[in-house]
Amino acid sequence: MEKKPVLEFSHVDVMRSKDLVIQDATFTINQGDYVGVVGPNGGGKTTLLLAIFNFLPIKNGSIHLFSKTIQAFSEWDRIAYIPQGAIHFDTHFPLTVSELVSLGRITHANIGKPLKKTDWDAVNVSLNLMGIGDIAHKRIGSLSGGQKQRMFIAKALVRNPEILILDEPVAGIDATGLENFYKLLSDLNLKKNLTILIVSHDLSSVFCRMTKILCVNKNVYMSDITKEIDPNVALKKVYGEHFHFVFHEHECKGDFHHD
Amino acid sequence: MIDSVINDILTLLGFQFFQYALIGGIISALATSWIGLFLILRHESMISDGIAHTAFGGIALGLLLGINPLITALVVSIIAVLGISYMRKKELAKSDAAIAVMLSLGFSTGLIIISIAGGFNVEIFSYLFGSILTIDNIDLFIVSFLGLASICFFGIFYKELLSITFDEESAKVTGIPVRYFTFTFNLLVAFTIALSIKVIGVILVVALMVLPGLAALQLKRSFRGTMIMTVCFSILSIVIGIFFSAVYNIATSGVIVFFAAGIFLITAVYHKIRYNV
Repeated sequence: MEKKPVLEFSHVDVMRSKDLVIQDATFTINQGDYVGVVGPNGGGKTTLLLAIFNFLPIKNGSIHLFSKTIQAFSEWDRIAYIPQGAIHFDTHFPLTVSELVSLGRITHANIGKPLKKTDWDAVNVSLNLMGIGDIAHKRIGSLSGGQKQRMFIAKALVRNPEILILDEPVAGIDATGLENFYKLLSDLNLKKNLTILIVSHDLSSVFCRMTKILCVNKNVYMSDITKEIDPNVALKKVYGEHFHFVFHEHECKGDFHHD
Repeated sequence: MIDSVINDILTLLGFQFFQYALIGGIISALATSWIGLFLILRHESMISDGIAHTAFGGIALGLLLGINPLITALVVSIIAVLGISYMRKKELAKSDAAIAVMLSLGFSTGLIIISIAGGFNVEIFSYLFGSILTIDNIDLFIVSFLGLASICFFGIFYKELLSITFDEESAKVTGIPVRYFTFTFNLLVAFTIALSIKVIGVILVVALMVLPGLAALQLKRSFRGTMIMTVCFSILSIVIGIFFSAVYNIATSGVIVFFAAGIFLITAVYHKIRYNV
């Protein structure tokens, strides 16, 4: 079955503080894709994400979300975002888990209006989906690392988004926590057909679990992992010719996209 | 003894000046408590001290020109807030340095105006240390207008403000016009400081803005619970302060801050015992 494109970049140049950070980016992400965004530090990964949200000036080219240019696009509740280092918040901030997740229900349409019962019902559904319904009234500062991850995903999912964008949300998490986090995202991708874009430095998880890889270092290269035989073809373009990643598929744990 | 105090309080409640003071004080408590809590959460508590000191220049200007000093203080406070925001945005100075620039500029302007005018010591003293018991109907109108504007804004947009305060980037993505909200919040900080000057004075504004919120945060409640406790602590401090100062003829602002600090100490001890930190 033909998959619908949800995000399309066409020859896009993105400026940041008068510098050209992304050059001639052209790629398409379809509904249900699970995309790992990789590349060296300072290569423009976060800039690429910010361009999707129309936060940065685009010098050339066009970006389409759900077939509309981002300038004309207004249904931002179809997209959810978890920013860089989200779990490293101020632990003294006076919020409970349900209060934080409820903030995900704010949309352009309900600014200045109180949340309704349907919004709080959605909060409960999202918390239960992430398996943290029992800690809804706990303070966010008292949670474990794993619970914080689930809480932020619950906040993102409470909008019922079609695209979930994550910018290195797991920086500082140990290997087991990381594995659980990627497993959780894989489940959402497979069961809810959620399109996921995630900036990650964990290449093993990217190649184990994701369907596409977006390599970013000013220029942008997209590869379909399910078809690409040697991952280094894409990676060398952004990390340099000296780079060599040895990928052992048999070391991948849990459920995979390769079906 | 208690009977005599109760009699004094009942007698005071019959006076118009005391009723004005209570109304002005409670409106001020409601406005300062939410702004103060958000300033703490944004790590910008000292902006209230900086703007209040800058407003001193506006008070002196008002006295010199014969305009209500609360109005000139408001105008100067707004200029100070915008100046601090501009310096931060253009990276001319970090937050603390930008506050220092406006504070010193405003305060020195006030001193120059006072020396040119050759005095108005009594009036200046009442704005430096507050004089809620002498609030007249014009001042009460100004305090009520500014306070209610601030309270209404919070009542309508509290969830958006909370979202921006917790994580500005995510708030932008959810469709909240962060720039407009931040601008309006800054204006309301100026509004609230201007109205607080009559209640507590330039010197102690920061205490009224910070202590109730800080005390509420020690209780580790939800945001809703923390907000309610902040408002309660603020109203309690101001009302007790007004009664005590009227009955015992002590400086009102001093008593208000003394009680607010006392509440903070009690909650800090509770926090230490309850959470063993």
